[in-house]
Amino acid sequence: MSHLSNPIATADQVFTNVTNNVLPLELQDSVRFYTARLTQAAGILLRLPQSITAQANVLLYRYWLVDDIMRHEFSDLSAAVIYLAAKISASPRSLRSITNVYAYLISTSSTLSGTTVPEPDPKSYYLSENTYITKRNKLLHIEGQTLNALGFNTHVALPHPLAITYLQTMDVFTSPKTGKEVAKRTIEYLNTALLSPQMLYLTHQPASLATAAIYLAARDKSVRLPECEWWEVFDCEREELGFLVVGMGSLEGVVKREAERWGKEKGMISRKDVREEMWKMGIRNENEVEEPLDEEDELNKLLDARVGA
Amino acid sequence: MMATPQMSPQSNGVSLIAFAKEHARPSRSFKGCSSINDYDILGKLGEGTFGEVHRAKSKKTGAIVALKKILMHNEKDGFPITALREIKLLKLLSHPNILKLEEMAVEHHTKPTDKRKRAIMYMVTPYMDHDLSGLLENPKVKLQESHIKCYLLQLLEGLRYLHENQILHRDMKAANLLINNKGILQIADFGLARHYDEDPPKAGMGGGEATRDYTTLVVTRWYRPPELLLQLRKYTSAIDLWGVGCVFGEMLIGKPILSGDSDANQLKIITDLVGTPNDETMPGWRLLPGAEGLNFPPHPSTLAQRFRQYGSGAISLLNELLKLDWRKRINAIDALKHPYFRDQPLPAKPGDLPTFEDSHELDRRKFKSQKAAPPPAPKGGTVGMGPQQGGWGGEPTVNGGYVNGDSHHNGHRHQNGSRYPPHGDHRNGVPPPPPPDGRRPAWARPRDDRPDTRLPPRPPVNYAGYDGPRDSRDERPPADRENYRSRSRDLDRGPPPRSRPGGPNVDTYIPSYGPDSGRRDDRPPRDRDDRRRRDDPRDERPRHDSHRDRDRGLDYDDRRSRRTRSRSRSPLPDRDRGERPREREPLPDRDIYRR
Repeated sequence: MSHLSNPIATADQVFTNVTNNVLPLELQDSVRFYTARLTQAAGILLRLPQSITAQANVLLYRYWLVDDIMRHEFSDLSAAVIYLAAKISASPRSLRSITNVYAYLISTSSTLSGTTVPEPDPKSYYLSENTYITKRNKLLHIEGQTLNALGFNTHVALPHPLAITYLQTMDVFTSPKTGKEVAKRTIEYLNTALLSPQMLYLTHQPASLATAAIYLAARDKSVRLPECEWWEVFDCEREELGFLVVGMGSLEGVVKREAERWGKEKGMISRKDVREEMWKMGIRNENEVEEPLDEEDELNKLLDARVGA
Repeated sequence: MMATPQMSPQSNGVSLIAFAKEHARPSRSFKGCSSINDYDILGKLGEGTFGEVHRAKSKKTGAIVALKKILMHNEKDGFPITALREIKLLKLLSHPNILKLEEMAVEHHTKPTDKRKRAIMYMVTPYMDHDLSGLLENPKVKLQESHIKCYLLQLLEGLRYLHENQILHRDMKAANLLINNKGILQIADFGLARHYDEDPPKAGMGGGEATRDYTTLVVTRWYRPPELLLQLRKYTSAIDLWGVGCVFGEMLIGKPILSGDSDANQLKIITDLVGTPNDETMPGWRLLPGAEGLNFPPHPSTLAQRFRQYGSGAISLLNELLKLDWRKRINAIDALKHPYFRDQPLPAKPGDLPTFEDSHELDRRKFKSQKAAPPPAPKGGTVGMGPQQGGWGGEPTVNGGYVNGDSHHNGHRHQNGSRYPPHGDHRNGVPPPPPPDGRRPAWARPRDDRPDTRLPPRPPVNYAGYDGPRDSRDERPPADRENYRSRSRDLDRGPPPRSRPGGPNVDTYIPSYGPDSGRRDDRPPRDRDDRRRRDDPRDERPRHDSHRDRDRGLDYDDRRSRRTRSRSRSPLPDRDRGERPREREPLPDRDIYRR
């Protein structure tokens, strides 16, 4: 059984996907980063084990490799993959909880932006029954689309447990204190890499990701690892390691760049934001049709308005 | 493929490299599902509760495949979790003796009015010519000992691979073993399979010990091991080996060896065969929840006697597989080394096995033209079936102490039972122990006046502890019976469930969603369908006899729930009955794909 390896995207695949996209590369990066971060935040609020949140983010990136990045609203897609990943795990979450969490995270009260914690305003994230049902149907629709695009390949092998095994193999835990620190930092690198728009989890096997994260963590904590080329023992070649080390270290720059573009307070971007940004950049896409308003959506809004009145 | 190198493909004649090549898939790419248009549909093979199965030809590769439709039972939760898990597991597995999931195919609705509907998903697997159960039913097929050994070896190889990878199959039975005309046997139907949290079995150590609880609502009754019948929750991979023993015996004598018609009866016929449990043969059995109030008059094993014509090798292996003590029951690794496989006649090579195509094809045509028997409702002995179906608790009025002693389980199980029905429904592919009565919708009943050419029922067998007053309620006119049923349905519900309905269960097959788990409950509780309201004096009768009862019974629930159940039944009476004593209804080819 291939518990330890993943299907990997080919360079070709990544290249054509990135270049044939209607979005310029930098905006694709923004979408990838913000959506993955949203999934991560939702995973925490839903109290999901990190392994499930991580799988959801890998599934998310896999999906975008096959399907158009602008096809679904990003937050809806994020919610759908987290629902799917949780559903097949030992800790499923209900659609109700998921829609609630996402409603909160994309509301103005969301703490996602980080710098200032706004006064919570329950009105901004209240989900009426009708909105909930619409949302639910949308998520279930996207779930089907995702499964279809993934060819039902929902298995994701993660590097996290491997990394711990590798650390043990290298006797890092002989000194419990530093050992723990290195392990913690390793896991942090691995989780950070999940948000990387470079899609490292799609292009590299878990063994390599684990090796690179250990390398970086040991460097950060000044822990001496064997002098020899130890990474080769873990099936990672020098060049791959070098690439991953750079890739994993680059997220900080990405985050800064994104904050400049969208503003520090921006918790999550939407398709509308992206379209406006494209407009600003002078990119007009004739093919892009304005999203037809969802009848059901509209009807519900009307109904809600009446009930509210 | 961590386990692949350790298997010994020589025993089933498939070269490892050839296998790997044949099964190599472009793992380095992401591509979505294929479209149903990539296949030419060649015809319907059968209908299971899981959905329809079609035979088809791939336009790309020319391969003949089986397309199994996945039914969307509960769209409220999106894609069925059971199917998702099965798909996920199958995609991880790769072994010559495990049915391979080639891919998933999607069929989109073409009519604009249907656009809002979901697409239909199909699982694509290689087409297998028979299933073992169908094959054994075929009167023209006579398996020789060397063939049996060959199939048994392949079955054990597949199972060893599963267990080594910490997967419990949990629905081992002849109908889930598919066979093609190249003599290859493959284990199919992973709808009940799950990851096993314990260490894989080690040579010489049996199934080991389990540390956590699993649900006991697994395995079709006829293949259910005694520890499951007694409600052991910490069960091990040994449960699958019991099933192998049952299948082995079934191959030897040509029909299922332990076909109980209720859980209580199942336990009784098990003890009739392998002897009553005592502290030596099944240490700790008294402590099992299901053993409460049970009393077996001591009685030795009759296995050697019953199988004496097959020689001491077969008897010895059967004894190992059908060991009451699950800790000592042989595991797949050791079973493969059993001397039986080194005795004459040696196991045949898969390539040397005769092809059964002709007889099979004939059968198929015959069955097709007749729209043959309705599939045996896979309702009995299914997952989610509590003991109620037998005399365990179905009849408050006739309970002996035995039943009373167990009544609290009854309630408990019942609750589970109604929570899980969908499984049984999809999964239990097959010939669930045909419950002797009340399975047929009204239209399928008019056959009572036909002379019964089969064996008469055996005289009642008295078995202490099992028989409450055994009446023959079924002899009453149908209307009466129905009344009785509808009344007893209420009585039947038994004591209130101990735990909160929908609450998390250990090893729930369907995850519980906590407060909004009501969704699972909107399906008709399947387990009521075939709960029997009586203890049948003819428990011991030859099995084909049960057929008659089934035809006659009026199933109250059946009609009510048919609309939610997908399995369609043939509206035509089963005309071929009586042509030969069919042990079981499933048609060979239908059966293969029924889920």
